[in-house]
Amino acid sequence: MITISNLTKKYGDKYALNDLTFDVQEGEVLGFLGPNGAGKSTTMNIITGYIAATSGTVTVDGYEISENPIEVKKMIGYLPEIPPLYLDMVVWDYLEFVYELKKVNKEDKNEHLQTIIDMVKIDDVKKRRIGNLSKGYRQRVGLAGALVGDPKVLILDEPTVGLDPKQIIEIRNVIKTLGKDRTVILSSHILSEISAVCDRVIIINKGEFVAEDTPENLSKKVGCKKKIIFTVSGDREKAEEILKNTHGVSNVICVSSSGNSYDFEFETEMADEDKRKLFFDFAENEIPILMQKESEQSLEDIFLSLTGNKEEVQEDESNI
Amino acid sequence: MKAIFNREFNSYFNSMLGYVFLTIFLLLTGVMFYMVNIGYMTASMTSFFATVNNAAVFFLPLLTMRLFSEDRKLKTDQLLLTSPVSTGEMVVGKYLASLGVLVVGTAITLVYPIIIAFSGNLPVAETIGCYVGFILLCGVILSIGAFMSSLTESQIVAAIATYGALIFTIMLGSVASFVPNEVISQILLWLSPMQRFADFTLGILNFESIIYYISLIGLFLFFTTMVFEKRRLK
Repeated sequence: MITISNLTKKYGDKYALNDLTFDVQEGEVLGFLGPNGAGKSTTMNIITGYIAATSGTVTVDGYEISENPIEVKKMIGYLPEIPPLYLDMVVWDYLEFVYELKKVNKEDKNEHLQTIIDMVKIDDVKKRRIGNLSKGYRQRVGLAGALVGDPKVLILDEPTVGLDPKQIIEIRNVIKTLGKDRTVILSSHILSEISAVCDRVIIINKGEFVAEDTPENLSKKVGCKKKIIFTVSGDREKAEEILKNTHGVSNVICVSSSGNSYDFEFETEMADEDKRKLFFDFAENEIPILMQKESEQSLEDIFLSLTGNKEEVQEDESNI
Repeated sequence: MKAIFNREFNSYFNSMLGYVFLTIFLLLTGVMFYMVNIGYMTASMTSFFATVNNAAVFFLPLLTMRLFSEDRKLKTDQLLLTSPVSTGEMVVGKYLASLGVLVVGTAITLVYPIIIAFSGNLPVAETIGCYVGFILLCGVILSIGAFMSSLTESQIVAAIATYGALIFTIMLGSVASFVPNEVISQILLWLSPMQRFADFTLGILNFESIIYYISLIGLFLFFTTMVFEKRRLK
């Protein structure tokens, strides 16, 4: 459906994208993962024809973007990082404007727009000025705009940024539904978001291709040791000592403390026997375990293992 | 193009801008009409338009300053430029919207010649000439303003740059009279859109002048389109 080959974008001497090649199958939900400044938005802006590539081609359903921009743009619904909303317009009027702008020709315009409004749940604000809406609603109005005209391809640039957890779940569900009969490219720098909705993930960093796989395989490939967070109460030094002396536990760090409870984070390859021992060791020393949870595998970990360049990643972390 | 025109035209009246512009425009032309035509008891609209023309330089940039700069600032240009609409269509649609607001204002001023026609002898050809010339001249000013607006994200910078360009074109006439070289002086006069207006005030619809104005409008809209094309490739 979408073929991207040898895409390069240079700003002066700096490469924003360097020889990026990948393709997206019809009906696939592709996750586009990378830290800020990796070139995700640049790639999306080139696919949608907002900016031109320095070299390389983008073909959507057989049409090349620089040769047939109008044909390509007709097929794509785009939600940029900042939703392109006219703040002085009422939601309904805005969607009507997008409908006209995209030269959509549906039998019943009102019904079409109403379906979209119901899908992204903005019915209660459809008569309000966009400028008066909250960030979450604006994001949804932007998504609604991208959906006008039932485009075959949806390109969503960080669609859940700035939303509260409830809204994130709602938007994810909408994207899942949409992905059933559409081709979707979704960018994010949050791994869990990508795993929740995408069939396949492409990771880029500094404008270059890093890896491509299904979310499950990617986590396996990364092969990080499991990280666990323990919250214990009592003697900090004693607890640390017990952890360090347990077989299979490594890299123990105390990440935070409040009162006399401490959060320890460590990597583990404990066998069941070790776990039992750890439990009784804590019990003997009267150190209750208040909480225990698996630490989520972060994008930084993935980059660490995929790029194998620790310094580079730490530099990026400050941007995330 | 129609969608862009409609949205842009409506946005003048969704915000205060359209009303403020029309208020100032009508207040100004009303005062001019009272002073020039009623005060001096003349049926000719020529001196009326001579004064309104100069005033137009000061209020027309208000119509165009946000035309493209605001889109860039609010990132709504991403919607327009990723829609199946050519850049040229977008530029023309927006330009026509600003022209549309001016035409609405100008249409209301038609009451003045109507008043004259009822109470005196209205020089019809001359008045028609003045109106056609006025719209064309304002069209040029708006196209310059549109171009300036496409260059920057800031409305204020766009407005100031437009004022600069317009004041320069007004000065062309006086600069020309100081240039000793006859050829250069003629070229300067030829370049000044203000000088062309004289023909229209005589009631002559000079084909050459009409083409001149329309070409200038086309030129600046073409420049505006080029600004977008260049930015896309940057």
